[in-house]
Amino acid sequence: MDIVVGVADMKVSNDPDAALITYSLGSCIGVAIYDPVATVGGLLHYMLPDSKIDGRKAQRNPCIFGDTGIPLLFKEAYKIGAQKNRLKVIVAGGAQILDQTGLFNIGKRNYTLVRKIFWKNNVMVDFEDVGGSVNRTLRLEIKTGEAWLKISGIGLKKI
Amino acid sequence: MTEIDRIVREIKSLKPISTISYKVMEIMSDPTSSLDELVGVIKYDQATTANLLRICNSSYFGLRKEIASVKQAVAYLGVEKVACLVAMVNSGENFRDAQAGYDLDEGDLWRYSVSSALIAQDLAEKYRIANPAEVFTAALLKDIGKVILSTHVRESFDAIMREVEEEGLTFLEAERKVIGMDHAELGARVAEYWNFAPPLVDIIRDHHRPDRARPNDLSIPIVYLADSICMMSGIGGGSDGLAYRYYRDVVDRLKFSEMDLQMTIINFQEKLKGIEELIKLAQGDE
Repeated sequence: MDIVVGVADMKVSNDPDAALITYSLGSCIGVAIYDPVATVGGLLHYMLPDSKIDGRKAQRNPCIFGDTGIPLLFKEAYKIGAQKNRLKVIVAGGAQILDQTGLFNIGKRNYTLVRKIFWKNNVMVDFEDVGGSVNRTLRLEIKTGEAWLKISGIGLKKI
Repeated sequence: MTEIDRIVREIKSLKPISTISYKVMEIMSDPTSSLDELVGVIKYDQATTANLLRICNSSYFGLRKEIASVKQAVAYLGVEKVACLVAMVNSGENFRDAQAGYDLDEGDLWRYSVSSALIAQDLAEKYRIANPAEVFTAALLKDIGKVILSTHVRESFDAIMREVEEEGLTFLEAERKVIGMDHAELGARVAEYWNFAPPLVDIIRDHHRPDRARPNDLSIPIVYLADSICMMSGIGGGSDGLAYRYYRDVVDRLKFSEMDLQMTIINFQEKLKGIEELIKLAQGDE
């Protein structure tokens, strides 16, 4: 059963029959984490890097922003048994409109943010597919930890 | 007959625009027309009225009072919004199907169209432009060319992607180079075939080319901006992805800051649930 992670949304699961999927990432970033021992997976789809722009909205929905959504993703996965040192981490998305000169560079800023947070917290990224101007869909199977990336128009690949 | 002629001939296969949409557009573009005229025209179209009232009472608007008549809807939401909703409930048919060339599943193009139209509506309000209903309608229908071009894009997809990836063309430029026609130009031809007012045709033609807009025109830049925001937010985007150009001068002309961009994305996200409901109600199934 596919559990859909919407835009500015996050789900964790330890249900072996479930898969987490998030569609059409655009400039947003999808972060998938998986612990093969606990068979726990989590998937976050955040839209913007920094919650400082509107703290109230971040409180209402931390998953809008990377800086509030990413820690929450890890915490929720820990609650159902995941452990940090076992986690496999995937990052996808952060696409941009062509000719970036600044303002519309949300994709790149989203990516910089996740790198910064992972750097600070000693989290290694196992696989990433970011940038360019393509739409990505990311799917994580809980039972096996197998992850699939679909690039719109190009096709599906196993990570 | 050339390939382009053949593509243009396919315009006739689209479902025609409903009479009520034309009437509402006409009333909205005539400064001497009255509010009662608008109410009168809608009231006598039962299907539109029923759909309109359902949408007015949906969570998207969050009105505390139940709207029971077209007149009430106009009183609560204003003439412009009601005109937009009439366009919306009568436009879904052409947009519902999957568009394989653009890798869009059933409903994706419609979701994208409604979302960018709603963002354009908010921007039209922010910039207080004179013709918000026209901007909304243009944003809603701007990708009608994709409905026809999809099969042609599918046939030439590899060649189009080569142009995008290796030559750095936008998806639109690649469509034109490979097929000889792009979805914006084709959309404008559809709009002409439907006898839309010239400004509406222009917005559809130039929604990816806001640099072509006249210096004092804000309609094209607004629809362009709404489309760009929608692309970034990943609302039912397809194989063309974000492969369109950023026009800094145009965004500067609107004095649209990065803060504005981020706040627009956040506000849109907060309304998403209501928008999903709105999209379902406006699918025109009934």
